[in-house]
Amino acid sequence: MKLGVFELTDCGGCALNILFLYEKLFDLLEFYDIKEFHMASSFKEHDHLDVAIVTGTVSCQRDLEVLRHARNYSNYLIALGTCATHGSVQGAVEGKLRDKLEKVYGTRANTMKALDPKPVVEYVAVDFALPGCPYDKMEIYQLLLDLAKGVEPIKKDYPVCIECKLNEYECVLVKKGLPCLGPITVGGCNAICVKSKLGCIGCRGPLPKEANPAGEFEILKNLGYDEEYLRRKFKTFARGELRW
Amino acid sequence: MILELGEFTRVEGNGKAEVIIENGEVKEARVKIVEGPRFFELLTLGRYYWDVPDLEARICAICYLAHSFASVLGIENAFGVKVPEEIQLLRELGLIGEILESHSLHLYLLVAPDLFGYPDAIRMASKHGEIVREGLALKAFGNYIREVIGGREIHGINVKPGGFGRYPTEDELEKIDKSCDALLRFAKRAVNIFATQEVFGAVPEYHVATDGYLYGEKLIASDGERFDYFEHIEEKSLPYSFAKQSHYKGSVFMTGALSRLMVKSDRLTPIAKELFEQHKEKLSRGYVSLNNLAQAIELVYSLERAKEIVSTLLDHGIKGENVPIEPKEGEGIGYVEAPRGVLIHHYRIDENGNITYSNIITPTALNHALMELSLYEEARKQYGTVDENFLKHKLEETVRAFDPCISCSVHFVRL
Repeated sequence: MKLGVFELTDCGGCALNILFLYEKLFDLLEFYDIKEFHMASSFKEHDHLDVAIVTGTVSCQRDLEVLRHARNYSNYLIALGTCATHGSVQGAVEGKLRDKLEKVYGTRANTMKALDPKPVVEYVAVDFALPGCPYDKMEIYQLLLDLAKGVEPIKKDYPVCIECKLNEYECVLVKKGLPCLGPITVGGCNAICVKSKLGCIGCRGPLPKEANPAGEFEILKNLGYDEEYLRRKFKTFARGELRW
Repeated sequence: MILELGEFTRVEGNGKAEVIIENGEVKEARVKIVEGPRFFELLTLGRYYWDVPDLEARICAICYLAHSFASVLGIENAFGVKVPEEIQLLRELGLIGEILESHSLHLYLLVAPDLFGYPDAIRMASKHGEIVREGLALKAFGNYIREVIGGREIHGINVKPGGFGRYPTEDELEKIDKSCDALLRFAKRAVNIFATQEVFGAVPEYHVATDGYLYGEKLIASDGERFDYFEHIEEKSLPYSFAKQSHYKGSVFMTGALSRLMVKSDRLTPIAKELFEQHKEKLSRGYVSLNNLAQAIELVYSLERAKEIVSTLLDHGIKGENVPIEPKEGEGIGYVEAPRGVLIHHYRIDENGNITYSNIITPTALNHALMELSLYEEARKQYGTVDENFLKHKLEETVRAFDPCISCSVHFVRL
């Protein structure tokens, strides 16, 4: 199978996390031939790909061109990481693009063709969307292995709370009153932040179904958190997707 | 004629360069950061201080802890909070983990393929599997430390103003202690490998670093100055790049592993110091490519220092107590050494604990001007004497020596 990894605008973590598979990466190479992965390799072959992995948000014209290339030249396109699936942190910055450019660069001119950061899924159809800031590296390993073997990948649809309970961590929302987005955030991280005795910050994006952000909002409001604080917290990784 | 370079491969993020040639002479080199802007300062504004280090961590995956710590230090300084030795040592340990993870990524996976003549480390592994695996072992160990201190390999939220969410256990610290000895042999071999690399790139006029080895109260420079960044570092926007450019006292300067060794070698651990003395003459020539050798020496330093820290912590026993924080109005700067150089987070906070001003300056942006100068000088030296492909390859190697972190560089202060 021919594989390409394409990076749009992000922190580099989603591509890096593939390298963090270490020895397991060599397992994947039994099935995959890497044709493009610019963080890791100077090798590049413009060819049709079986699988294209795209990380990051579309934040400039260059990103859009790379994304279109990845989509047009691949059978399966994986949107990898919360930037690609939900917009993540740079997608959450409020305001008009030209105002933001002025505040940061001191000019309203847009010579470099910046775009308002948006997730990959808003521009092209994707075959798989794997959220996480970053995703758990075993998830991409499993997904690539499933694709290579023709197995239908399993999609996670349960909240972080499930993994928290399985690990027998103390509920920081109930016991400590910390703002924890675990109940409305899709699991898969093994409740990693609750392991640190801190609340889930929602980096995997909202639970796809049966989430109750309004209920969560109400609970946190009753605990004394102000509405503006909660609004920003809900928005950080998911742009406007969590509504209440 | 314009010689187009890139997009760069084997660097973090998306960047290009162009070398402008007129009448057969190299006129100018430009480093163009094409990764989209990320607006982190704006994201931070109005946020409650407690959540800010977790957001700033997302600036970069390779050095997320450096961003978390710089953010935490800026916030603590704004509130006038001082943390005890235990927390300081744990923070230093986290930064050491990051140096190990980042330097070994850079040296073994990104630079070594140039030395051995391969397009990447995966293909290099077919002939030199042992070296690649040694690099991966160092990298995995660095990541283990990042996980223990930071809460996960990438973007953990364990680092908090006043302390940590969770403190490491004795078992975790002992595991770190044991691995340091085992890995030291690999790190020493890295010094031998990278000591053979020829020199290229420019020679900076000044080096800039923090006054402590991995973080500090102020910046220091090779001319003996001890200062706050706004006193001597000037930034400007460029029409062709999403990253800004900086000068120290009007001159092109460097920050990073080479700079740390040049201004702080007196703080090195025994074996690292010995290796530094052994290669001092070469390092003192100052070419940016020597940053690779300097990083290899820092691998040795990191393993030795991690062992010292862990043994102190184990002797005293971990108390695991955070310093309580009462938000109040204030202003503070955090100076940290990210693996690739000085990182600055500067905040103003209101009486409710919300951020009202934020300024972040990253090492890649600080090195941006030197990166251009290096391309210019290298292109002048080589143009006309070698074929175009070789020249492009050489110029890309020059950029790579900076270990640039482009994602970090694309969000900047308002002027």
